[in-house]
Amino acid sequence: MNSPTHDPTNPEHMTNPEHMTNPEHMMSNDRSAAAAPVFSVRDLWKVFGPKAGHVPGDRELAALPQAELRERTGCTAAVRGVSFDVHRGEVFVVMGLSGSGKSTLVRCLTRLIEPTSGTLEFDGDDLLAMDKDKLRELRRRRASMVFQHFGLLPHRTVLDNVAYGLEIQGVGRAERRARALETVAKVGLEGLENRRPGQLSGGQQQRVGLARALAVDPEVLLFDEPFSALDPLIRRDMQEEVIRLHREEGRTMVFITHDLGEALRIGDRIALMRDGEVVQIGTPEEIVGSPADAYVRDFVRDVPREQVMTVRRAMRPVAATEDATGPVVAPTATVAEAVEAVARTGAPARVMENGRCLGVVDQDGLLRVIAGLGAGREEVAA
Amino acid sequence: MKKPPAFTSRTSRVAAAATAALAVTALSACGAADTGAAASSGGPGDKVTIAVPSWVGAEANAAVAAHILEEEYDVRVEKTQIDESVAFDGLDSGKIDAVLEDWNGAPEKIEKYVDQKKSVVSAGDLGVTGKIGWFVPEYLAKEHPDITDWKNLDKYAHLFRTAESGDKGQLLEGSPSYTTNDDALVKNLKLDLKTVYAGSEAAQITQIQQDYKARKPFLTYWWTPNWVNEDVKMVEVKLPEWTEGCDEDPKAVDCGYPETPLRKYLSAGFAKDGGKPAEFLKRMKWTEEDQNEVAAMIAGKKMSPEDAAEKWVAENEDVWKSWVA
Amino acid sequence: MSTATDSARSGKRTEKRTAPAGARPGARATTWRGTDSASPPARTPHGRAETPAAPNRLRTALAGRPVLRRLLPLLAAALVLVPVAAALWGSGGWPQQLAVDVKTPLDDAYDWVVDHRETNPVFLYFLLHLSNWAEISVDAVTGFLLQLGWLGVITAAVLLAWRIGGAGLRGLRTAAVALAAFAVCGVLGMWEATMETLALMAVAVSVSVVAGLVLGLAAGLSDRFDRVLRPVLDTMQIMPAFAYLLPLVLLFQIGVPAALIATVVYAVPPMARLTSLGLRGADPGVLEAVRSLGAGPVQRLVTARLPLARKEILLGLNQTIMMALSMVTIASVVGAGGLGEEVFSALSTVDVGNALAAGIPIVLLAVWLDRTTAVAGQRVAEGADHEATGVRKVLHGRRAWALVAAAFAVIVPPGRRFLVEEWPELWVVDIARPVNEAVQWFTAHLATGVPVVGGTRVWADGFTTGVLSPLRDGLQAMPWWSLVLLAAVLGLLAGGWKAMCTAAAALALIGVIGVWDKSLDTLSQALAGVVLTLVLGFAIGVLAARVGWVDRALRPVLDVLQTLPQFIYLIPVVALFNVGRAAAVAAAVLYALPAVVRITVQGLRQVDAGTLEASRSLGASTLQQIRQVQLPLARPALMLALNQGVVLVLAMVVVGGFVGSGALGYDVVFGLQKSELGTGLAAGVAIVLLGVALDRATQRRPDRA
Repeated sequence: MNSPTHDPTNPEHMTNPEHMTNPEHMMSNDRSAAAAPVFSVRDLWKVFGPKAGHVPGDRELAALPQAELRERTGCTAAVRGVSFDVHRGEVFVVMGLSGSGKSTLVRCLTRLIEPTSGTLEFDGDDLLAMDKDKLRELRRRRASMVFQHFGLLPHRTVLDNVAYGLEIQGVGRAERRARALETVAKVGLEGLENRRPGQLSGGQQQRVGLARALAVDPEVLLFDEPFSALDPLIRRDMQEEVIRLHREEGRTMVFITHDLGEALRIGDRIALMRDGEVVQIGTPEEIVGSPADAYVRDFVRDVPREQVMTVRRAMRPVAATEDATGPVVAPTATVAEAVEAVARTGAPARVMENGRCLGVVDQDGLLRVIAGLGAGREEVAA
Repeated sequence: MKKPPAFTSRTSRVAAAATAALAVTALSACGAADTGAAASSGGPGDKVTIAVPSWVGAEANAAVAAHILEEEYDVRVEKTQIDESVAFDGLDSGKIDAVLEDWNGAPEKIEKYVDQKKSVVSAGDLGVTGKIGWFVPEYLAKEHPDITDWKNLDKYAHLFRTAESGDKGQLLEGSPSYTTNDDALVKNLKLDLKTVYAGSEAAQITQIQQDYKARKPFLTYWWTPNWVNEDVKMVEVKLPEWTEGCDEDPKAVDCGYPETPLRKYLSAGFAKDGGKPAEFLKRMKWTEEDQNEVAAMIAGKKMSPEDAAEKWVAENEDVWKSWVA
Repeated sequence: MSTATDSARSGKRTEKRTAPAGARPGARATTWRGTDSASPPARTPHGRAETPAAPNRLRTALAGRPVLRRLLPLLAAALVLVPVAAALWGSGGWPQQLAVDVKTPLDDAYDWVVDHRETNPVFLYFLLHLSNWAEISVDAVTGFLLQLGWLGVITAAVLLAWRIGGAGLRGLRTAAVALAAFAVCGVLGMWEATMETLALMAVAVSVSVVAGLVLGLAAGLSDRFDRVLRPVLDTMQIMPAFAYLLPLVLLFQIGVPAALIATVVYAVPPMARLTSLGLRGADPGVLEAVRSLGAGPVQRLVTARLPLARKEILLGLNQTIMMALSMVTIASVVGAGGLGEEVFSALSTVDVGNALAAGIPIVLLAVWLDRTTAVAGQRVAEGADHEATGVRKVLHGRRAWALVAAAFAVIVPPGRRFLVEEWPELWVVDIARPVNEAVQWFTAHLATGVPVVGGTRVWADGFTTGVLSPLRDGLQAMPWWSLVLLAAVLGLLAGGWKAMCTAAAALALIGVIGVWDKSLDTLSQALAGVVLTLVLGFAIGVLAARVGWVDRALRPVLDVLQTLPQFIYLIPVVALFNVGRAAAVAAAVLYALPAVVRITVQGLRQVDAGTLEASRSLGASTLQQIRQVQLPLARPALMLALNQGVVLVLAMVVVGGFVGSGALGYDVVFGLQKSELGTGLAAGVAIVLLGVALDRATQRRPDRA
């Protein structure tokens, strides 16, 4: 079985992102997975408290659980020894419950919060070595952030809020307004350019926040729980919006959320955090299909697997008689889709890619996946 | 969270900006400022500033002087409401040109500015003589004729008792700016009295008027000439007679108040360069009756000082013609 | 309209309240981001759950004697120190050995300045420039206003008020206020004086705003500067203006300069405080977003922090204007002219009517400026014109300003051709006579001989003999150390160790500067005044909170009481209560009452409606509702009212000096009028110290759990 099973006590296991990357997901974008990662994070620590700098280096302290660490040192380790890469063009979701350190982590990425130790590279540049000006330049042009509570300037109109990043860069008034207008249109706020944030609904405000981040045309968009403050229906719309934008522009995104459904829906890969540590990194399918430990398993228990898992998980090798008949599904199809096809025809479905039959899925295999028993069979090698 | 390094530089930038601002101020102030001491001169259209302390007599002087100055010399007169003592600082700096009625309420300032610094010069007497003393209402004096001698005051002290003075008789005092030795006097004459400071002329007069209306006995520090005397008839209590030097040591005073010829003072600059208006103010001199007439119009009949002055000037040309000569 | 002191303090209040809220760990748990950015305490719920448990057990053990537990260390220390102190320095009034002579050096300093101010470079190259500049600018503004003529000024004021009020129909209200205010000033025959005052105000407020902004900016950006500035601002506000008028006269000469600077000193604090508050209170989320976009410190300040603080800054402007206006009468003591001078000269002839005629324009200026700036603040908060429809759509932004300018150009020049610049004599109405008659009638009928109740003079005498004198004599008879100890105990109970030290030190310092007995005299009056204010204020407040029409009827009365220069009611107060301490207390109560009534009403109104409903459903009577629900729940507000009462009563100590309070108030006035720097300043400082001691002994502070 190819899918990794993790030993949660061994973080080393997760530091090799290649190990967990589903190449197919990467291929779905037109950029190459082989290119250098946008963000490369290694053993990143953020400790709050007195003499925070001592904690990461001290093996004994670093191994302590949160409560004991606090008792001993008065420090809180919000991010502990986190490593991952974010690849160009992917949507990388960091997901965890509140207090798991995910928001601190995303702030460390542009040093809005100064990391305590570790290495952090952006496009191969050492981010921690940047001086104030370089860092500012990075924030201005290369990585923009969208915030949970929007962070809009209440005294400016929508248009001026969107143009704000450009204004900071020193772009002239006419040009920045033109560019802001384009962006406003892109996020579907036409006609509201002259409103103030206070006159907009939450969803509209977050669109402004999104437009403001987009207006500077950054390499990376960072989202810090952008939709948590919104109503469920609007949240859904906004998620669609992000997915659409990603489809259209292929911009790299780092997305923080505490909502598993959201993570599964928009993430190419998900890093699951708990108490400052990354417990598992993988595609939604990997997370749901092969939880690294009891915590993750518990976490994903209620996920409707048939909608996350693809038919690959349920596939068995083609039997000799099967490759000509039965309904056809794509390898990226979800189990739910296959169930429908199988139920309709009563026969196992063939998984076809480029005219080649990769395998078949039958009732038994599909049910095992839905039941969470694991595929029970080796995935057929592509 | 670690403080962003920008913080310290921000503070230093603020500091730099403040320093720059200070430097600019300092530069602009490179030249020595005009002290304003020799500002006024006496030509037509110029401004003469007269200090008006907070009593009506002074207001009457100023109103008449202003009226004549404006009519005869065509100068603009500004009357500034200000206390006697502070007015001398104004004379010293040249902000004020004239004080027309000084009760010797700030002898140390006269010594400093007139005698030592010579920034203020005397402009002679106003012609009115002030008399400070202790007074009781007329009805009380009629009832107890011997009350008008200080030696008998103790006998009647109980009449003057108030809540403020407790078991002693109350001696009502006025504004803090008045010249008074009463605390020492009460002590040195061993009187069964207690001074109660009204704190302002308005409060003192109100108290007197109310008591007078209710025909209550009272004893008060008071002075003539005074417009209130028109309505409130009071009789002076005889204090030990004033002799030269008996009030030299403020703690050992045991005598009454001297008669004070009220004086006029001009700022040295104005006296020298003030031309005809300054000459006029030096010559101005009238009697207690004259002043009371104007004061009564202002305070009693509630006429505006300008109207009162105009009326008096129209009716008393013989008095003021000699001033303008 | 709320008065200067009242709202400025409330500004300060918010400040105090917000600071600890931000620091309190629990507060952050309410937002996602707060918890998530891993603030240490929020992340460990288990740890937090345990902490209160242990002290709780401890507290239960000591239950019943919490006060004793708090005081134990202090009492132990006192047990050792007091006998030593008493043995060394006796147990009477403040011991002579511990007093320092501050008067002589101050008087020497005074003489030195007088001798050197024409030759010393500090004066020639700096202070004189300041005072000349002050004089010139005020003169210029006065000249401009008079040149503009009454028609010009009224038109400009009305148009500006209309524009600031939001143009269109919405602005008509503020425009009407402006028109009425100025018209009445003219009708009362006070046009020229009003213009002089307006000019002084304009310059003073401009200077205050700039100075306040700079100070507030520095305090908002630097914690260290903020810590240094705070006590300075407090002193600027409590120190009676009379006490620092003399040094100002000394440094800047009489007339406009000293008055201007005194006004600025008094008016700067709210601006500085609120600017700093606004900068500190800016939404951290917005600031973080701005930082994430790569804005530098200056960009952050200019594009985010300052605009975000606009509401507070406008409130600061409003407060600064109110403070400046409250200085109008005091400024005229040193010859600033204007309405204040009219008030004073009317008082010298005991003419309440004319004093009122000069006082009303001050109130009206206050109303006009307050309404206009308040509306401006409201519109900023709302986000202004952009969602405009109809008329207002046409009338926003520059177009409305252009219209204002055009209207001015059309109305004024032709108008001036027909009308003279001075306010027409014919339109002046004399209110002095009827007012004086009314006042006389009232005082005559209320003062004495009222059947059964006796009349105000009888009460005043009773109050003096029955309350004020015993209180004063009692305080003065108490051993000095017992009073210092008392201040310490109260401070400890109210606010903790820091408050204890401050309260005791403030009281001791009063002794050190040699005004112990006088301060106790003033203290006795202040205490009586505070108690009276609170009793009356709570009673009126409870009534107004329950009965709608009482509240509505009271509001304008309270407004006027707060803005009318206090000097105007000195004469009726003396007529009603006799010269003396009772009159001073009465004046102080009149001044402090409005704020106390307001805070009480507000506190009672804010009581949770649900709780009240529940108690009603249980059949509680009106009295039970008030006593058992409203008053206990409104306790924080009532404590605030107490604190405000103390501060405001102390603010009136100097005015009390004008009606026979004696003691510190008289000394301050004496110092100014007799140019006795030592006496005046020492008394002024003593008032500040009394204020500090009383404040610490009455205000609950966050450092108490």
